[in-house]
Amino acid sequence: MRYNEKELQALSRQPAEKAAEIGMRVPKKGSVVKRRLVKLVVNFLFYFRTDEAEPIGALLLEHCRIAEEEPSVFSISFIEEPDRKYYFECSSEEQCQEWIDALRRASYEFMRRSLIFYRNEIQKMTGKDPLEQYGISEEARFQLNTHQA
Amino acid sequence: MVPGSPLLPAVRTRPWGALCSAPGFPSVRRVRAVGAMKLNEHSMAHYAVSGSPVDHEGFLRRCSSQGARQPAAGAGGSCPRYWFVLKGNLLFYFEGREGRPPLGLIVLEGCTVELCEAPQEFAFAIRFDAPGLRPYVLAAEGPEAQEAWVKVLSRASFGYMRLLVQELERQLCDTQLSLASRPGPRHWPHRAGPPPDRPPPQPEAELREGSASAGTEGEQGATRLPAPAGRRRLAENCPRGPAGMPLNGGDSPVSPETSCFPKLHDWYGQEIMDLRREWLQARGLGGGL
Repeated sequence: MRYNEKELQALSRQPAEKAAEIGMRVPKKGSVVKRRLVKLVVNFLFYFRTDEAEPIGALLLEHCRIAEEEPSVFSISFIEEPDRKYYFECSSEEQCQEWIDALRRASYEFMRRSLIFYRNEIQKMTGKDPLEQYGISEEARFQLNTHQA
Repeated sequence: MVPGSPLLPAVRTRPWGALCSAPGFPSVRRVRAVGAMKLNEHSMAHYAVSGSPVDHEGFLRRCSSQGARQPAAGAGGSCPRYWFVLKGNLLFYFEGREGRPPLGLIVLEGCTVELCEAPQEFAFAIRFDAPGLRPYVLAAEGPEAQEAWVKVLSRASFGYMRLLVQELERQLCDTQLSLASRPGPRHWPHRAGPPPDRPPPQPEAELREGSASAGTEGEQGATRLPAPAGRRRLAENCPRGPAGMPLNGGDSPVSPETSCFPKLHDWYGQEIMDLRREWLQARGLGGGL
């Protein structure tokens, strides 16, 4: 798949929701834990060698599962390949839990579901569609019935 | 991954040392040895074609922007046509409507979308704020398609969605509070303490009156309530908001006294639920909520 690496590099320089040095292990046979700077920007998780300015890689955080593996270790896997896991070893249980919470909320799909939920609740309570004032009520991405989770 | 193509801006470039805005990040860093950035491409391709709804799709012609190399003439002329699919903040393009996997991807962050004149009719450009990123010039098949694409692409960024979610979250909080409002002194949860398990006792008549004044269509004295599952889901979003961003530094945007909207929500919600149950039972309609 073609993409412009510079677009992603520019994105990786944007202010992060969260960033930390964490031990990371990729789902490759024989891979070991490596210290990486991990940075959450919108729905991408970038990872850098700790002394480099450009990321070595990025994970798009859509259709993924964030799981607690051990008290200080979480994993990211993707729904079409649930056994291929990226492991992240945190320095504390607290840090681990913070990252799990942040990553679970980091997807566009999560926000879409939240939006649909709030829209529906407001509509039920007030009889009015809160999106109408923005002129976006008809957009497919905000419809309750087209949402397939 | 295909490294380079005459149709695309340069995919692989020599990275320059750059300031990184992560907290605690040293300000000057060694340049990374050249090697393509790894992406979870397989999952991205899967995301492009399955699961969640597509936000917009259609054929668009991809034109080279001024000054760029012209694409190969064999690829459908100077402006080859691809099937574009917008999902969230990602614009994928495919060989054709049934094409799998995507040929490519454009990340719609830090960019603006505007109509543009040449070279084709119904063209628009995606321009990036960051320096050195070449714009994409795309052309729709007609004026309605052009307008629809410009609108939907302008609102595709993660930030826009996040703003919307925060706004609706605030509106829901406002609505909850106004429905729960009643005359007389109120008991606001204190910032430090946990919310009370039960609301403080209130005269029943006052509660009924308050409930009736909330006024939704149909049932007298009853309010429409969020489903219990929804309340729990709402509580999960506390206090940072769905996208993980702090909402006004932890304060509810509605009332400075409340530290956490979901706690307030749950507190009033429980009160309304109990009231409704009492009301239904009093009318012999049974519980069921």
